[in-house]
Amino acid sequence: MDCPVCNKPMIILELNKVEIDYCPNCSGIWLDEGELELLYSIDKSENDLRKLFEPTESEKEKSYKCPICNKRMVKTKFNNSDLIIDKCPDNHGFWFDKGELDKVLSLNANTSAQKVLSILKEMFSYNKSQEAE
Amino acid sequence: MWELIQSNRRKSLILFFGMGALLIFIGYVFGSFYDPEAGGAIGVLFAIILWVILSTVSYFAGSKIILAVSGAKEVTKDVHPQLYNVVEEMKIAAGVPYFPKIYIIDDPSPNAFATGVKPENSAIAVTSGLLATLNRYELQGVVAHEMSHIINRDILLMTFAGVMLGVITIMSDVFFRGMYFGGGSRYRSRSSSKSSGQGQVIIMILAMLLAVLGPILAQLFYFAISRKREYLADASAARLTRYPEGLANALEKIANSSHKLRSANKVTAPMYIVNPLKREGMKLADLTSTHPPISERIKILRSLQQGVSYKDYQKVFEMIHGKKEKIIPDSALKESIPVAPVSGLANEGIDFNPVEAKREANDAVMKLNDYKFINCKCGVKIKIPPEYNNQIVVCPRCGTKHQLS
Repeated sequence: MDCPVCNKPMIILELNKVEIDYCPNCSGIWLDEGELELLYSIDKSENDLRKLFEPTESEKEKSYKCPICNKRMVKTKFNNSDLIIDKCPDNHGFWFDKGELDKVLSLNANTSAQKVLSILKEMFSYNKSQEAE
Repeated sequence: MWELIQSNRRKSLILFFGMGALLIFIGYVFGSFYDPEAGGAIGVLFAIILWVILSTVSYFAGSKIILAVSGAKEVTKDVHPQLYNVVEEMKIAAGVPYFPKIYIIDDPSPNAFATGVKPENSAIAVTSGLLATLNRYELQGVVAHEMSHIINRDILLMTFAGVMLGVITIMSDVFFRGMYFGGGSRYRSRSSSKSSGQGQVIIMILAMLLAVLGPILAQLFYFAISRKREYLADASAARLTRYPEGLANALEKIANSSHKLRSANKVTAPMYIVNPLKREGMKLADLTSTHPPISERIKILRSLQQGVSYKDYQKVFEMIHGKKEKIIPDSALKESIPVAPVSGLANEGIDFNPVEAKREANDAVMKLNDYKFINCKCGVKIKIPPEYNNQIVVCPRCGTKHQLS
């Protein structure tokens, strides 16, 4: 799968049985819908998962195309925070820009968002410590 | 068992020739439509030649084409050990000397099919979605069902019948396009000025009717051939695994999946264990569908409490179907040894982890696509696509630099 921002092949990272697509070039992250479902399959219904991402319109930022279906992604608010991420209109997954990821990692979230955050925090611990220096 | 194959062949051959007659008739009528004098013969010739060519191609390369169209890739044991083991088990259970090739289709929608002209060079293809959603016992049921198609020689007949369906569909398609661009009008106007106009009008109406109804009729023939075969394969699978609940659960999971199979089309659809082109809320679909209603198949399998022999299946089938209809050939019904279902598999779901099954299935697909796998010492597994052309990969978790060879 190619990165929607720089069109280069992304690598896949697996930790605790969850996969994340990662672009080593721009540090963007693709979270596949199926992977999120796996993450929440144990104790959360799909509905709760959808509630984490509310569509929003007040965004001038450039929107990218979904790497799976090539449809233009829509801007989505994550867990009612000021964090805006791209979401595929056909629910294939979510795209986090580099800057967005940094915001995610410093976010304090309620329990339902905790799972997404903790896997991202754990996976990119080195990247974060690099930035702190 | 041999007679079972024979009687299977006989019944199917009748239907097969019925379909062939339809093909020739359509060729004749379409030909006459364009040229009332010589067109009929040319049309028949055209239809037969088209069928012979496509059949020859599919006899020698059919399974390869079908597998390629479906996006299937051949796998070895180390790509997905469980799948390989299950096929091996079913081969031993069936007592056949040949080992079908195993293919995986990269598609989240769970489904499977068997293909091949001879059992010796047959193939079983399953989607990655199937591997991700089924536990071992359910997978056994599906593989046993496909194995039965191979043993019962269903695959060869279905290939030829599928080609015939394709040719009829192509012909009516070409006919409609020809009409649209006014190809036939020249001849029509000329002959209508003659006295033989009335016969031409009848041919014209018949041609139009056949163009619409031909493909539907051909599908009904195809349906009649394939429908019984699905029940028979279910019966054989229950007998092979001695655990009908496995296949019943698998069918249920496949039917309930919300994913749509991307590579399926009209011709390949009847080959799958569950029709991948299902449309919800369509009652008419039951009439023309190539598969018996899945709820009925599940119900029959779940009612096989006493035994799983062919005789038991026939009995339960008639009970649930409400009328007498031979699904199992007589020779198989004479089988006198009772086959009892396996019991005590109540813990079957415990060792099944849906997350792990999905991971395993996806990894299998990636291995097929030449991905490189790196296990970083911090616990992250890095999977690198073959298009990645950087020499170094940095683990984002611990910062280790991995050199790619």
